This record gives sequence, C-alpha cells and structure tokens, in this order.
Amino acid sequence: MTPALEVRGLVMEYRSRRGRVRALDGIDFAAAAGEAVGIVGESGSGKSTLGAAIGRLPVAGVQHVSGEVLIGGVGIFGLDEPALRALRRSRLGFVFQDPIGTLDPTMKVGRQVAAVVDGSADRGVVDGILTDVGLVDVRHVAQSYPHELSGGMAQRVAIGMAMARRPGIIVADEPTAALDASIKVQILDLLVSRCRDSDAVLILLSHDLHAVRTRTRRILVMYGGRIVEAGETATVLDRPRHPYTAALLRSAVGREAPGGCVEPIAGVPPASAERQDSCAFAPRCVYVIDRCRSVRPEARHVAQRDAACHRADEALDLEGAP
Amino acid sequence: MRPPFRGDPLSQIGAALLVVLIVTSLVGSTAHVFGSPTALGGAPLSAPAAGHPLGTDQLGRSVLARTVAGIDQTIVLATAAVVIAAAIGSLLGMLAGYLKGIGDDIVSRCADALFSFPAIVLAIMISAMFRPGSATAIAAVVIVTLPVMVRVVRAATLMVAEQDFVIQARIAEAGLGRILAMHIFPNVAGTIIVQMAYSISFGMIIESGVSFLGLGVQPPGASLGSLLYEGRVYLSVAPWLVFVPGVVLALTILSVNLVGDGLRQVIDPLLE
Amino acid sequence: MMAGALMSLEAVSKTYAGGLPWSRSRVPAVRSVDLAIGEGETLALVGESGSGKTTLGRLCLGLIEPSSGRVLLEGQTFEGLRGRLRGRLSAVLQHPQSSLNPRLRVGTSVIEPLVIGAGVSRRNARQRAAEMMARVGLGSSVAERYPHELSGGQRQRVAIARALVTWPRFIVFDEAVSALDVSVQAQVLNLIKALQQQIGFAALFITHDLAAARYVARRVAVMLRGEIVDVVPALQLYRPAPHPYTRQLQQASGLRLSPDGDRP
Repeated sequence: MTPALEVRGLVMEYRSRRGRVRALDGIDFAAAAGEAVGIVGESGSGKSTLGAAIGRLPVAGVQHVSGEVLIGGVGIFGLDEPALRALRRSRLGFVFQDPIGTLDPTMKVGRQVAAVVDGSADRGVVDGILTDVGLVDVRHVAQSYPHELSGGMAQRVAIGMAMARRPGIIVADEPTAALDASIKVQILDLLVSRCRDSDAVLILLSHDLHAVRTRTRRILVMYGGRIVEAGETATVLDRPRHPYTAALLRSAVGREAPGGCVEPIAGVPPASAERQDSCAFAPRCVYVIDRCRSVRPEARHVAQRDAACHRADEALDLEGAP
Repeated sequence: MRPPFRGDPLSQIGAALLVVLIVTSLVGSTAHVFGSPTALGGAPLSAPAAGHPLGTDQLGRSVLARTVAGIDQTIVLATAAVVIAAAIGSLLGMLAGYLKGIGDDIVSRCADALFSFPAIVLAIMISAMFRPGSATAIAAVVIVTLPVMVRVVRAATLMVAEQDFVIQARIAEAGLGRILAMHIFPNVAGTIIVQMAYSISFGMIIESGVSFLGLGVQPPGASLGSLLYEGRVYLSVAPWLVFVPGVVLALTILSVNLVGDGLRQVIDPLLE
Repeated sequence: MMAGALMSLEAVSKTYAGGLPWSRSRVPAVRSVDLAIGEGETLALVGESGSGKTTLGRLCLGLIEPSSGRVLLEGQTFEGLRGRLRGRLSAVLQHPQSSLNPRLRVGTSVIEPLVIGAGVSRRNARQRAAEMMARVGLGSSVAERYPHELSGGQRQRVAIARALVTWPRFIVFDEAVSALDVSVQAQVLNLIKALQQQIGFAALFITHDLAAARYVARRVAVMLRGEIVDVVPALQLYRPAPHPYTRQLQQASGLRLSPDGDRP
C-alpha cells in the first residue's frame, strides 16, 4: 500500500555568498496515514529544509539536487507549477513558528479563513473552523486582525486554516517555539488530536525533545543533513543507539539531577558542500573510530530502530532518558 | 572589483548613462571639446548640420556646447542642494527619532507642513522671494528636500533605536553624541544615501522647473531647465533648442533614478 | 533598605498609561514587588509572556523608572547614580542578532563599556577585552569579525564578554539563552555558572524556561500578572512544587522531577 508520504534519497543544496552547503544529504523515510512523526535536530541539521521540501516550498537559496518526495505516490519535483499548486491545496497543510507572521496582517481573520475554503463567505463555515480549533467567542475572533490576537489564539487560527481542506499531510515547523509553556501543551494537543481525527500524517519538527516524546509515535533524529536515528519515539529517546542522539539528550537542561551538570556537545555542526565519505558526527563523537572518518555509515536496523552508526550494534554506554 | 548592480541590468544601464553624461559634461566644461558655450560662432537659429551638430541658438552659440554646460549645472546644483539638505535633515531626523518627546513633535509637524505643499509650488514661492539666480535655485531644492530627508531619517532612526545594541550603549552610559555617531548614523547611512539619489533626481526636476520659469539659473549660464526657458519662444522655428536640452534632461533624471533603484537593491538586503 | 543587598526592589510598581486622553487605560505591568539580590547571587525570574518580568528587568537596569517604590543598586537609586555607574552594571539581552552593532567589529563592541564608563585607554581596553573573550571561549581572531559572520552561540558569547569586560557587580540576563539551540544553551549556561565563580557578579536571570532557571540560579522567583507569587531555592524545583502555579509551570516544561528529595 502506498505510503501517504515518502521521501527517497532527497538531496538539497543551499547556496549563499559564502559557498554551497548540502542542506539535505540523502533523506529516506516514509509515513502512513494517521501517523505522527517527530523530526528533531538543531540549527544546521536540515530539518526545516526537509519540512519545506515536503511541499516544495521555495526557500531562498535552496535548490533541489536529486531524490524525490512522493505524496500519495506522486513525485512532486516533476510537477509543473499549476499541478504543484493544486497538490499543495488539496493534500498539504503547513503550520509555522510565528503565527502572527504567517497570517496576513492587513486582512481580518474571518476573511482569511474564508479565503482558504474557496472564498466561501458563509459565516457558519468560518465559525465552524474556528470553533473546531478550540476558540471561543469566534465571531469576535473572526472580526479581529491577526496582531490583535494572542500568540496562542493566532496559532489556533493558523492550524484551523491549515486543516480546513482536510489535507492528508500536516507539516508543523516549531509550532510552539514562540508560545508560553502552558499554551504549548494546548496547541500541541490540538494539533495531534485534529490530525488523528482526520487520519492525517503529522510531521512535527521541533527541538523540544519533551514535546516530541509525548506526542509522536515515531521520531527521526537529524544531524548534518542526514537522518542519524529513526524509530519508535520511546525506543529512540529511552535507549538511543546513535551517539548524537545520546549527546543531545545529555545536553538538554531539564533532565539533570539536582546539582548535576549538563554536558554540551563539543565542536560545531558541519556544513559541507559535497557528499562526504564519512560520518557527519565523527568530529564531535566521543566514540569515534577510524572507520567513522573514512566510510559513510548507512542506516541499519538495530535493536528495533534504524541507526546510521558503525557502532550501533555495540550497545555503547549511551545514557538515555530514564 | 565586482561590477556594481550585478544582476540588475536596468541599474547598470542607468549607471553607465550617468557616467557618460558626467564625463561628457566634465570634459566639455574644462576642455571645451564640444565647443565653447559662449562663443558666437555661427548663424543664429541654424538647424543641425556639420560644424554645429546640434544647431545654434538665438545668439549663434552652439546648442551642443550649451547643452553640455547645462548638464554640468543641472547635476551640480541639484547635488549641492541635496547634500546640504541631507546634512541638516539627517541631523534633525536622528535627533527627532532618538530623543522623541516635544522636540520630535515640533520637528515632525514642521516637516509635515512643508511636505504638504506641492513641491513645485513651494519651490516657486521660495524662488520668488529672492533674486533670480543659481543660489535661489539651490535654496528652493534644499527647502523641498529637507522635509523628506527628516521624515525618512527619523523613521530609520526609530527602527534602529529600539535595537538591543543601542540599549546596551545606554546601559554603558554612552553620551548622546556617541550614540548618534557610532550607533545610529552608521546604521541609517544606507537609507540616507538611497534617499539622496532619489532626491537628486527630484531636485533636478525642481531646479529645471524653477529655471524654466526664469527664476533660477540666468543666461549666459545654462542649466538644462534654463535652456528650455530660453528656447521655448523659438519652438516653431528652431525646435532643436527645446528638443535637445529636453531629451538630455529626461535622460539625466532617468539615469539618476535608475542608479537610485540599484543602490536601494544593494542596500536593503544589508539592512536585514 | 534590606541590609547587604546589592540590588533591592522595595514595593516597586510600574504602570503604563495608554489609550486616548479621554479614556486612558492604566496597565499595571509590575505590582508592588519586593526583591533583594545579594552579592554573588543569581536570582532567576520566571514567568510567561505578560507576567511583567521584562519590565522588571528594565527597572533593575535603570532604563525605566518605577511608578512607585524604589529600586536600589548598592543602596542608591539610579537618579543618584546617573553617569557614575562606571561599568558596575551590565546586561545580556535576548536577541543575538540585534545585541551587537552590525557596523562594528565585535572587538570594538566589547571594549565600548570600558572606554565609555570606566575611562580606560583603548590599548588597555583591547587587552582586557581579549582576555575576557578568551575566558568565554572565543578565539583571538573573532574580535576582528563582524556580527553577521558569527553564529548565534558565538554572538551570545560576545555579548557575555561585553557584559563582563568591566567586571560588573550586577548583570541582568534577559532571555539570554532562549534563542539558542539545545546544546548551545547548555554551553552558555555552563559558561555563566563558571564565570560567576571566577568573577563573582550577582545576577538577575530572566527566563520563561524553568529548566534553565533552576539549573543556573540559587533562588527562583515566579512572576504572574505583575506579582511575585513564589520564591524558592532552585534545588527545591527538582521536586514537585507546593505552589500550584509553580507546579503548573513545572509540568508544562516537562522537567524531570524526583518525588523523594534531592536524590536523583
């Protein structure tokens, strides 16, 4: 059965004044309808590039090099503009980090929501969408401008608009990074439940390990434009088999013992222009061996998940999140 | 050095055109390569022919030579006026935008009041108050350009002043002069330069208008606008007297505008 | 005045007036806050947006005046200290991209507090700045670069070097690590703790992130709608807190809590 979303060998390049960088260096994964997949990574990992690439959204300086993204079996990089737009409208929904920035500041909220459902001016439809995302006093919200709403309310509107056409795939790129702690919880709950109700794939891009842990069934850990570990969220986060995943968990404040220390990861993330015949994490890895520097590790299925590490089956002393 | 305005062909054309015009006028004014603008060399009002490639005017002077001299005056007067207006306007704009309060209110209201006049009407009013001449033309352009400069610099200053590094300078007890000179000015300089380019182009239109009414540059001096003033009575018999300076004026204004566009493209991304 | 406190707030309130002249709305951002920070102590101030914590930070920096109450640095109000701070007070603010003048090399930004307030010669200042930049883990070549050539983490380190170059008594960190990656946050938090050991400054660490607050501070104050509703020693936040709002923040942040005392 065709997966709802499939990414095969995706390579994307980022060009700036300072040169070329491989933003994505060969991404492979698939998601079935109704699945919630978390993608975690830090700056330079390529996760945002991947999120945009799923919809072939134009990003300044980023170009497709090779590989494909298949939505319902249809490759998007071969489509012409009109077909691509039609696909985006019917199958994809995006939620971004800054809701007030995503909404049009010059139009009232109600009009923007109506525009998404083919300009239907039917108040009932608009009110229904706003109520479905948990807003109260929806008439007042519909008559407001985006900057008059709080961050949480604006994000609810953005979610409503993204889901209004019942797309099969929702990509949420750091949807709660700009929101308060208590609102984060509500927004993530909303996103997850709405996607589950409409059997949509949820791709949740986040640097917040806690948020991803509690909301997603599967997780992909990205580093240096590649997926370094992938599997069931609990499995990967509790018992990581890739040194980067473990290092990331160890460096996150919030998990340490009282009076204990967090360990930052020494070194800086890579930014190379060509496909490297080595592990992207090797320069910073404490478990590095010679092989890591000369042979590029491919993902292998080990201990119920996929890890791209030459030493993944050694059960190294990687302390996970208890 | 990379070619300026790379990827922006219109601005490159504008820049090239402007360079041609400036070089032509410099060479023409100093070396009289195109003839002397004052020599009464030929028969008056003669059509373009060999010897006088663009014809002669009512006194027998070469239209080519006078037009070349006119380019010089047009550009120099507008540029001088804009430089003066930019200096005064930037200072006022930065003070208003950074200090805010009553001073800002006064400066802004005055600028708005001046700005509310149609520029050419304002220019004529100013020119009519003084004796006709180049200095009057400059004064008119300064008065017309000042309010725009103040508003643009004030707006840019408001945005820069709320950035964290300016707050840091205040915490470190930096004085007003230091903050304006080291922190505000370098970050609004790009905006000022772009605005100056547009103001020079507009200033040339204003100066031409004032001179066209006989209130600006006086003969035997020539700016492109004053040449239009002199030539308009002869339009039916010697159209080249109006046509030549008119086309050159349009090209000059256009080239400065295109350079302004190009500068804005270059400077805006840096402001991100 | 609270004896021995480096920074103290006594019944401090700040109300912003807004709206039109005939229907002014008064928005109390800070309501009657009492707070004292001792020498060498880090107090974290935690709250959500709209809690008033940023306003409190500005009050502690003397950038705004309280509507009522007093803010005292070493026992004096900012009125009395105007022009005489001489680098005793500094700040690290939120946005790494706008905390440094984009037109200046970062080395120049770092020496500025020395040159202005403390009247140090440029040559001396450059030496001291180089030493401080080494302490924060930046190589000597970084001083010649411009801010846009550095990463967010590096820029924040430069901001910290600038904040420390005058060896201040008191620093306000306002969301200093919020815009940074997880592992870079760890580096910067560890750096702040280490530098405090070396230099001995007192600090107000403003953040919405309870995890960072309990890690870096000795005490944590919780702010809600302009008031301080709870003040606890940081170590106690490794257990479920008694105060309901504090506990709500703990749960929302996904902190690891041990149910039975300080043992992990």
